[in-house]
Amino acid sequence: MQHILKGGLAAAALALSVGMVQAQDLAPLNSDSEPDRMDWSELDAKFGALPAVPAGTKVGGVSKTLTNEYWRSLGQGYQNVADRLGIEFVYQAAQSEGDQLGQLAIAENLISQGFNALLFSPQTDANLIPAMEKATAAGIPVLNVNDAVIPSAAHYVGNVQKGNGVNVANWFIANRPDGGKVAVIEGQPGVYAAGQRTAGFTETITAAGKFEVVASVPANWSREEAFNAAATILQQYPDLIGFYANNDGMALGVVEAVKAAGKQEQVAVFGTDGISDAYAAVRAGDLTGTVDSFPVLTGEVAMEVALRLMAGQALPRVVATPQALITKDNVETFATSDMAALRAALLAQ
Amino acid sequence: MTAPTRPALLSRIRFRDAGTLLGLVLIAVIFSVLTPVFLTTPNLMNILQQSAINACIALGMTLVIISGGIDLSVGPVAALSAVLGAAMMVAGLPVPLAVLAALAVGLGCGLFNGVLITWGGLQPFIVTLGGLSLFRAFALIYTGGTPIFGIPEGFRAFTNGTVAGVPNPVLIVVVLALAAWVVLNRTPLGEYMMAVGGNEEAARISGVPVRLTKLAAYMISGLMASVAAMILIGRLGAAEPTLGTLWELDAIAAAAIGGASLMGGRGSIMGTLIGCVILGALRNGLTLMNVQAFYQLLATGIIIIVAMLIDRATSGKQGG
Repeated sequence: MQHILKGGLAAAALALSVGMVQAQDLAPLNSDSEPDRMDWSELDAKFGALPAVPAGTKVGGVSKTLTNEYWRSLGQGYQNVADRLGIEFVYQAAQSEGDQLGQLAIAENLISQGFNALLFSPQTDANLIPAMEKATAAGIPVLNVNDAVIPSAAHYVGNVQKGNGVNVANWFIANRPDGGKVAVIEGQPGVYAAGQRTAGFTETITAAGKFEVVASVPANWSREEAFNAAATILQQYPDLIGFYANNDGMALGVVEAVKAAGKQEQVAVFGTDGISDAYAAVRAGDLTGTVDSFPVLTGEVAMEVALRLMAGQALPRVVATPQALITKDNVETFATSDMAALRAALLAQ
Repeated sequence: MTAPTRPALLSRIRFRDAGTLLGLVLIAVIFSVLTPVFLTTPNLMNILQQSAINACIALGMTLVIISGGIDLSVGPVAALSAVLGAAMMVAGLPVPLAVLAALAVGLGCGLFNGVLITWGGLQPFIVTLGGLSLFRAFALIYTGGTPIFGIPEGFRAFTNGTVAGVPNPVLIVVVLALAAWVVLNRTPLGEYMMAVGGNEEAARISGVPVRLTKLAAYMISGLMASVAAMILIGRLGAAEPTLGTLWELDAIAAAAIGGASLMGGRGSIMGTLIGCVILGALRNGLTLMNVQAFYQLLATGIIIIVAMLIDRATSGKQGG
């Protein structure tokens, strides 16, 4: 699959050079393992303070759908920076996460409006490719922001998906020294983020030696499917000590199953994303923890990266955005809506 | 049977097409007043290009609707022919052969639907609802859920190319629409479709091959879905098993705005095309004005319902 992919991209790149000015020769992007990368926290140290923004700068953002809290928060982050620096910012999203062509149409329509940079969060790895090619040909920098990865993207800002799973595995290794049986509730099969989160958890915890991943089943991001899967797994493995779910919605479904089985004391449950329901559940002691990827802050970082690129800074291809394991011990530190305080807390980690 | 009614029917359809066109002109005027970018050549080409895929699907859908049926499986049919066609291209099969094979997949899916509906005597809604899950499942199982990248450059250059400034997908749609118009208005098959959709029993008695007519409609619809799939994978450079979600509803909306009656027996190729452009122009104009997608949905809903109300008011006895 990997070399088919590579050959295909080389061919696609060739096709692009027909009638287009762009002639970049980029390997297919894997946002987690791309070597040309840096962490968001190093931006100021390596490239200095944010460069001044020329008057009349316009930036456009296209994300998946505003029915999902994550994408609203990301847009809030973009808007925060835009407001602070007096940038004109337009944020649009498709009607639903399945609306691939609608999102493409929105992206294409934005290109004709003279933006200085575009921030794309595509529905899938492929659906915004024509828009990205068109924008690149027009000389507009395009940032791929979380979480589907356009293989030909020149700039990616987002979460290290694998790190989410690694963080949770490390909690188990530190807090359950005797080891035991654990299970993974996966997102949609074939989705990059789901695969990487699962791999990060499974590889790390298996390498520790005392743990066994007894089940790893997809629940397609659905709370209900996760509930059913967790109930079945709990029945099959009564001595299970923990679950890792690829997102918070599913983790909350797992929490219900664990409660129904009366095993809150024995089974630790972790999610991913850090949605507000998950924070509430962590505070209430229902959910053991979640890996927050701080969408508002991610939006701010992405917008700042866009501005740096517009100023001609030669940033690495991937800029990794912050994440942190949230448990009852630190939930109040990270629940802040003050982004400056959040940045400080993350940098102090 | 059709001799005396046909001219009257035709003139009514043309009258309806003029109404749809008027709607489009109205929308265009409003948007060009509100946003200066709207009425520029690149943007108009943009709208046509974005409408091309829906138009492909909607043309097939119109024929199915005219013959009294419905095809809910078009999106998954497109996904299945996209992933199979792409896999063949990536495996090194010459592009024209891979495209033909992908089109055959679409025809095959249409045949499957059509046979169950005609000889199986099952309801079109249910059969194609089943197909909606079935064909999607095939596409997902075959790919394991992951997209297929590596569509050959020549094919991409063709679907992304233009002739005299007009995108090739738009030209493909124009050719297909002409063909569909000829089939509907100048061949016995078109007459049969109108007859079967208008009154199946009467059509049967007057010797119309009802089953073959319906079968043809579903096969054309499947074929059109795979044409749309080919255009899309050429544009994206990848085939995704999840492509085509909710395409059936956009196509039905375009056909309905264009004057097709879901009761069968009535519909227009020209009207459907204009319906597609209306939907495309609406999305484009609202995006240019930076209106959220939720309101675009609202506008689409209003337009469909207004079109239906106008239909009801002008044709009197139809509808319901």
